[in-house]
Amino acid sequence: MRIAVAGAGIVSAIGIGVGQTLDSIRALRSGIGEVSLFPTVHRVPVGEVRMPNEALASLSGVTGGKPRSRTALLGMLAAREALRDAGVDPSGSLRVGLVSATSVGGMDLTEEFYREFMADDRKGRLRQVVSHDCADSTLKIAEYCGIGGFTTTLSTACSSAANAIMLGARLIRGGMLDCVVAGGTDALCRFTLNGFRSLMILDSQPCRPFDRSRAGLNLGEGAGYVVLMKEECCSRKPYGYLSGYANANDAFHQTASSADGEGAWLAMRGALNVAGLEPDSIGYVNVHGTGTPNNDASEARALSRLFGKRIPPFSSTKPFTGHTLAAAGGIEAVLSVIALQRGILYPNLRFAEPMDEGMIPCTEYREGVGLRHVMSNSFGFGGNCTTLIFSEG
Amino acid sequence: MVECYINAMSSADTAALDLKALIPDAALRRRMSRVVKMGVGAAMDVLNRFGGGARIDAVVTATGLGCLTDSEKFLRNMIENGEQLLNPTPFIQSTFNTVGAQVALLCKNHSYNMTYAHRGRSFECALLDAVMLIREGSARNVLLGAFDEMTPTLHRIWERMGFLRGIEGGECACFFVLSDERSEYTLARVSQPEFLSEGLTRQEMERGYGGENVRILWNEYAEYGLCPTASALTFRAGVDAVRAGADRAVIYNSFRGEDPAIMEVECV
Repeated sequence: MRIAVAGAGIVSAIGIGVGQTLDSIRALRSGIGEVSLFPTVHRVPVGEVRMPNEALASLSGVTGGKPRSRTALLGMLAAREALRDAGVDPSGSLRVGLVSATSVGGMDLTEEFYREFMADDRKGRLRQVVSHDCADSTLKIAEYCGIGGFTTTLSTACSSAANAIMLGARLIRGGMLDCVVAGGTDALCRFTLNGFRSLMILDSQPCRPFDRSRAGLNLGEGAGYVVLMKEECCSRKPYGYLSGYANANDAFHQTASSADGEGAWLAMRGALNVAGLEPDSIGYVNVHGTGTPNNDASEARALSRLFGKRIPPFSSTKPFTGHTLAAAGGIEAVLSVIALQRGILYPNLRFAEPMDEGMIPCTEYREGVGLRHVMSNSFGFGGNCTTLIFSEG
Repeated sequence: MVECYINAMSSADTAALDLKALIPDAALRRRMSRVVKMGVGAAMDVLNRFGGGARIDAVVTATGLGCLTDSEKFLRNMIENGEQLLNPTPFIQSTFNTVGAQVALLCKNHSYNMTYAHRGRSFECALLDAVMLIREGSARNVLLGAFDEMTPTLHRIWERMGFLRGIEGGECACFFVLSDERSEYTLARVSQPEFLSEGLTRQEMERGYGGENVRILWNEYAEYGLCPTASALTFRAGVDAVRAGADRAVIYNSFRGEDPAIMEVECV
């Protein structure tokens, strides 16, 4: 059974919706800038969606009522765009489900709550903590989009959304659903900013994935969802098909990647096996490429092991969006299916000098390149490595 | 269709686990918070029960709220220290997939590793994934489990929200091995869980799913205390019921009246 990608929705520092996102990329306009959402002592660049929660809520058309975390608001906008793009009405005859990923959940509101609670456990507004758990944003998105079918939440750090997309395909293949909105959402908050800071993997400059001078990542925020459908249920010409997927574990370290890129290699190899493809059929790789010295070296090693000397055009789009954690796999899946449909090679911004591994990513925006198969990598803490492959019809 | 069997599971008494034997690296053990130790300990114990040399092809975990103590510790340090000089360990361990990842690390297991965090349905979703992996032929033996901790802060918040009227707070650390093959150690056969859009009363469950020598376990939260993954503990009780002579056990859970789901095990 072929799994069609019938719709795409994206919200990130470079725009709300596919249109704005592509405009920014074509103009080589990065979304990385100063932190403005919350006060912090850290002066590090981040990729913010430059709209406060109230503006996001009004854009989504919901105001008042239940508290909605920023994670939920970002996800609602991207999931709605994806469904509209696919022309799917969840209240129709199709069995429509939602698989959403998040790692931050409602931590932005919990932070507010906890400041008061810490001083006095009778204090702190409970309405700020009810949306703490990961399921909350998923349930809010399902309610907002009118999705009544099977709904679940995955949380495997920075590979979460790619895993959600893989599960979406399996649920359709397993006969449980006809259509799945799959992806992830994460808001930027002080907790994660400080977390990555404490790990000393934030670059004080805009990030430079795969560059010799790379010194860390920039955090971002956003959401990305695709609408996966059983091919025969599709009412529009799909972007392409999700032909391959695999998850593997690096089993090396809780936060660092192995020098030989074993987990990444296993994920890429596994996805090729599911798709029934050989490495030389891949036309473009949207790499995980966070910009940390460790990730990029490990991923480069895995790419070399898989592709040998014939490494396909590749780039990291994180210099545009920042690393959006659990949303990254969704945002990059959306970028990958658009790349497939329009034959786009995205530029890896700020690349100047190759690292020792000698790999040179795409540096210019190109459109109209014939692409048959596009690979997207997402790796997370806990050695969690996932690869998706999108293929033309 | 490929059948799916439960070939090992946690004992009811996880407090009695010998964590030093299960997680021999003392430095690693010390870094782990209580819930991570509970979860990893229960997982390693089940792997031992299943047989040390047997190959595990997938690790699927479930948690409603993740590693709360670590999240809270990092949050508190961040506020108290004005965002300066923070110890990264609690941040690292606050990730929801910490237990699954630590198991992979300890066993050098490179296979599929997934974590569900969907409130009261987390375990049912993980069970669905495990059963699907076996039916797809993607895995022959799946380590499946759930964990959640009770902390003073969670207790206080739930108390203020009115969640703890007539019920205590609970915890969970419970693992299983699901396999595509029946062995002399097989405890029960398991089917794909069912996700309902409307809740069912005990009477409706009895009418729809009951029968001669069928054990119905309906919302047994009071037995284990309120915990999003208490359904894993009820699932184990269902397996126990089958081992004690029931033909089938049907397990219904709806955490705080939401997201009802049904799991079913039968005797082999």
